[in-house]
Amino acid sequence: MVTKEEVKHLSWLVRIDLSDDELERYTLQIEEIIKYLDKLDNIQLEHVKPIVAKKRLSGFEGNVLGTKYRKDGFVKGPRMV
Amino acid sequence: MALYTLDSGQVAAGVKGREFSAEEYIYQLLERIEKVEPKVNAFVSVSKEALDEARVIDKKIRDGEQVGALAGVAVSIKDNICTKGIKTTCASKMLETFVPPYDATVVKRLRDVGAIVIGKVNLDEFAMGSTTEFSRYGATRNPWDVSRVPGGSSGGSAASVAALECTVSLGSDTGGSVRCPASFCSTVGLKPTYGLISRYGLVSYANSIEQIGPIGRTVSDVVLVLNAIAGADENDHTTVGGKPAHSLRQRKGLRVGLVREFIEGAEPRVAKVIHKAADTLAKQGCGCEETSLASVQYALASYYTIAMAEASSNLARYDNVRYGFDLDPEGYEWNSYFAKARSNFGEEVKRRVIVGSYVLSSGYYGKYYLKAQQVRSLIKRELKALFKKYDILIGPTMPILPFEIGEKIADPLRMYLVDIDTVVANLAGMPAMSVPAGFTDGLPVGLQIMADEFQEQTMLDAAYLFEQAAKVQRSPDL
Repeated sequence: MVTKEEVKHLSWLVRIDLSDDELERYTLQIEEIIKYLDKLDNIQLEHVKPIVAKKRLSGFEGNVLGTKYRKDGFVKGPRMV
Repeated sequence: MALYTLDSGQVAAGVKGREFSAEEYIYQLLERIEKVEPKVNAFVSVSKEALDEARVIDKKIRDGEQVGALAGVAVSIKDNICTKGIKTTCASKMLETFVPPYDATVVKRLRDVGAIVIGKVNLDEFAMGSTTEFSRYGATRNPWDVSRVPGGSSGGSAASVAALECTVSLGSDTGGSVRCPASFCSTVGLKPTYGLISRYGLVSYANSIEQIGPIGRTVSDVVLVLNAIAGADENDHTTVGGKPAHSLRQRKGLRVGLVREFIEGAEPRVAKVIHKAADTLAKQGCGCEETSLASVQYALASYYTIAMAEASSNLARYDNVRYGFDLDPEGYEWNSYFAKARSNFGEEVKRRVIVGSYVLSSGYYGKYYLKAQQVRSLIKRELKALFKKYDILIGPTMPILPFEIGEKIADPLRMYLVDIDTVVANLAGMPAMSVPAGFTDGLPVGLQIMADEFQEQTMLDAAYLFEQAAKVQRSPDL
């Protein structure tokens, strides 16, 4: 069972504001999606090793274009402290 | 002569042999785009430089300089692949002003062999969807019936190719996003083995399973583009070494396994066309028999768990500071600014990011994510065993026909279920492609061909054999 409170908490963790409408709709839909994913719980997999994907980062750094809020060559964000 | 109907080999030969100029061909394509775009809506932006680039190619040829295998060929690029100096929006408000300062490796390689980027094409926002309806720029429509979806998420790619608005296109395939629209639009679309094509410059959605892939009207188109873009790239360390070269070969006697689970799950009208396709291959001397891939039943749950988990982590970077749209930071505290800006993601992206964080939550990790990775191993093991017995596996690319726009948009789970036949190849990291198999009630059906890792040539042999025998290719009335 997925609750509205859970979805609200998760949306805060991923920093996405949800409207009341969205919260209502998403809770019902996510409940249904999770119920489907629960299939994974019914399968015997003790002897199967999980796949490990290769992953490395590239060293590229580029310029960010097309934003109004800039200062001294930097992009301006909201105050942190 | 309608130059926009030619395939890429014909265009390159015509331009090089000076039968017509690249400029003339690009001009015709731009006219064609102007004519059919109001009906199809495949493009997010059309390049302003394409004609100039064509003139440069023409001049090189007049001056006797070397030009590449795709000289003059117009390619459309899915708008989640970076193009230097051309906006790359991912069909999202979050990237509406993003102009990449570099070309993706695949784009650079296409330009290096003379291809011309004609424009950027539509997709589901951040490639999350199977219909190209979840786009900030409106739904793309299927050229065969404009009331229906073109498939997705590379719907703009397949629709632009089918509608003769470009000659070839690049899409990306995370769970079927090249093959699904290729099938729905009656084009050829290929997802390579994981690591064959560089992802450098592809905006990440679920990076452990996605690959860039070509879409064309013929197998020959797809081979030419694949050869141009495949091979090791120092900027993507998941690429494998070497530079493979694929060709069109006449090969008979392939061992073909028809996957029972794919056929049984398909709508009867689709299954009928696929059975006929298997007969066609058999008549060409292939040994066809039914086989089973039992772990398919868990593939979709595994795929969506992994894709959404990776999406929630990959999309964390969109904080509206490094990338984003203009939103005045004044009056916001850091976290609330983030959350406000990120509420501008579209419906499906928000849903996937939230579900992704759910399956990764402590306490649920072992129940979902870990199991999903184990299922991946299981599927790969099962496929490896099958590929000892068969050269290729076949089935329908999509279990259903292209459906009406809006039909499934309000029911996410129903929408996810249509990906059942395509996600398997992504989970296993194996190559798969869709080739036009025929039409039923005027709507296209695609034949999916899968092969073992790095056996693209075998897969292409089968596709070419089928294409030559079935003769499905035609163009929609627009």
